[in-house]
Amino acid sequence: MPSDTDTTFTMELMYRRSLGPVVGAFLTGLRDQRLLASRTAEGRVICPALEYDPDSGDAVDDLVEVGPGGVVTGWTWVPEPLRKHPSDRPFAWALVQLDGADTALVHALAADGPDAVRTGMRVVPRWADERTGHITDIACFVPEEG
Amino acid sequence: MAEDTATEDPGAPVRFMPQLIGLDYTIKTNPVAAAFGAALADGRITGHRCPSCQRVYAPPKGFCPICVVPTGEADLVEVADRGLVTSWTVLTPIQYAGQKEREDYALASILLDGADGTIGQQRLVDVPLDEIRMGLRVEAVWAPPDERVADDRGYGLGSAVSGWRPTGEPDAPPSAYQEHTL
Repeated sequence: MPSDTDTTFTMELMYRRSLGPVVGAFLTGLRDQRLLASRTAEGRVICPALEYDPDSGDAVDDLVEVGPGGVVTGWTWVPEPLRKHPSDRPFAWALVQLDGADTALVHALAADGPDAVRTGMRVVPRWADERTGHITDIACFVPEEG
Repeated sequence: MAEDTATEDPGAPVRFMPQLIGLDYTIKTNPVAAAFGAALADGRITGHRCPSCQRVYAPPKGFCPICVVPTGEADLVEVADRGLVTSWTVLTPIQYAGQKEREDYALASILLDGADGTIGQQRLVDVPLDEIRMGLRVEAVWAPPDERVADDRGYGLGSAVSGWRPTGEPDAPPSAYQEHTL
């Protein structure tokens, strides 16, 4: 109100992205609780799936299943989540290299605190109850039990 | 996007994805605009009188745009929450997402009593569209106090005034607005 000297605004645009066969298949997999990756001609397994081999630029259409568990290869702690973050509690953004994949994907990792996260720890996805074919079908990753 | 997915077989391949692009930002309201907003919350419209040319600008800008002379609290004047229509446009809404208007409506430039410049884009209410005319006397319809949000830079009335309705007074003569028509 007028006594305030700051006014906060939000500008948002929702658009619909056409996915194509590879990214579409990756997100279809998430909806169905399967983690898909692209396998290049050289046998490199890339997750999240890419439509092309980043080394050669060649099209990639060979999809393989990876995970569901994986290893944290890097992370950063988010002490104060923002409105658009996938968690309203402090969490980590983590690079997760899924079992069978040669690259890591970025996702939220739920943990009690930064002391509970370390590079090399094993994690598994926690699936969202309602899955629509979006990266948020994985609600977050959590430390693997035992 | 919801329609496309809703009509598809739930097991069909995912072909589209909704993606939200968003930006949160904060504007530091300048002190002149903040004072204007505070007056609006109080149900008052204020302006600045240029110490050089004596013209009154409402909303105040903190300077006279003609003389380029700074103005301040000492130049503060109150202008009326009533005035006259100098020009107007009737808008016919074309529906798009987020469009709330359904019927034709009018936006007017209004010369407030005590001000030397018009305020633009003001909603006219309680008047048939074919009875709007230059010189029509109107008064502010103030929004309830808790709904009066000033606009971001203090250059407009924000949501403080929800519209302007005829006062029933006789029309102002052309000499009152001939310098303010577009």
